Amino acid sequence: MAGLLVLGAGQVALGDMLFILISFIILALLVKHFAWGPVTKMMDARSEKITGDLDYADQERTRAKKLAEEREDALKNSRAEAVEIVNKAKESGETQKKSIVSDAHSEAEELRQRAKSDVAKAKQDALSGAQNDIANLSLEIASKVISKELNADDQKSLIDSYIKELTVNETK
Amino acid sequence: MDDKYKFIDFLGLRFNVANDLSVLVSAVLVFILVFALSRKVTMRPGKAQNVLEWMIDFTNGIVKSAMPDGSGKQFNLYAFVLFLFIFVSNQLGLFFQLKIGGFTYVKSPTSNPLITMGLATVSLLLSHYYAVKKFGFGGYLSNYARPVKFLLPINLLEEFTNFLTLSLRLYGNIFAGEVLLALIGTVAKSVGAVTFIGAMPLAMIWQGFSVFIGAIQAYVFTTLSMVYISRKMEQE
Repeated sequence: MAGLLVLGAGQVALGDMLFILISFIILALLVKHFAWGPVTKMMDARSEKITGDLDYADQERTRAKKLAEEREDALKNSRAEAVEIVNKAKESGETQKKSIVSDAHSEAEELRQRAKSDVAKAKQDALSGAQNDIANLSLEIASKVISKELNADDQKSLIDSYIKELTVNETK
Repeated sequence: MDDKYKFIDFLGLRFNVANDLSVLVSAVLVFILVFALSRKVTMRPGKAQNVLEWMIDFTNGIVKSAMPDGSGKQFNLYAFVLFLFIFVSNQLGLFFQLKIGGFTYVKSPTSNPLITMGLATVSLLLSHYYAVKKFGFGGYLSNYARPVKFLLPINLLEEFTNFLTLSLRLYGNIFAGEVLLALIGTVAKSVGAVTFIGAMPLAMIWQGFSVFIGAIQAYVFTTLSMVYISRKMEQE
């Protein structure tokens, strides 16, 4: 074995050094082409993707927080709005109720007035109709009584009583 | 030990068949491993991809600990391949040794100093190359006389000691592991059934420990390579 270490001894297989040099270079090239290249590329791509994803996650988190705040504000506002709407509705209902009631009142009043005037008119009509009937009736009675027997006194008292009644009716 | 090797002379260079075949087997094993683990590369990793990414992260961590400012990104691939190759090479001899007709054909390639020196040469050449690329050739030379001029000889000497310690540490550890394993083997065969049964737990313990050593040495070699490169690339 010691002979191997002594350079220039003639027996040294110096070709081995050349051989390992060449085979090592070829091995390195093959490894680079088939394994190292694709794998390191993928590793770099992965680390890039992870960084990107982390950044994206941060962004999304802040955005979500902002959205949540906005939503909470909106919720608060909507509650106030709802209360306002209910109040307004109540108010308008109240005024509507009042106006309906007053309308009903005035309409009823009008109806009553109209009914009253109608009644008065009907009574007037009936009265004047009755007067005519009574006049005719009295004339008929008178003609019948007269056609029987007529004495002056009876006739006179009869007419007087009729007139009296009529005037009483008239003044009434 | 007393292993015999076949040699081939080609273009005036001498090739050790066992070393070259072992290097080839290790390289093919590393490639098959990595190739099988990287078939389905997706954004959500599966089991295989997770394993591969774990290994990549591990070697990237080694590079980052030597060059924390991120300038070491260009060495990530080198550290990854180096670590996997040395790791597989260290384990190869523990599980798979091929001897035909007394000649060894496959063993741990890292149990030979020439192979580890080859690996150390790659690492140190890279460090010199990137130093020249960064500072220019003049700046690279002047770095030897830093921080003070009289350290020049020590800095020059350091280049050689770096090379030798880096390569011989790995070689020594793996070679010793194989020697001890072979010794335990001869003990097992020495008397008969008694020694065979007695040596079996020893062999198992030492094999387990060798796996551990192989992993540690792969880590150490990769780490030191990165440290040497990073030291070349900064001005003291």
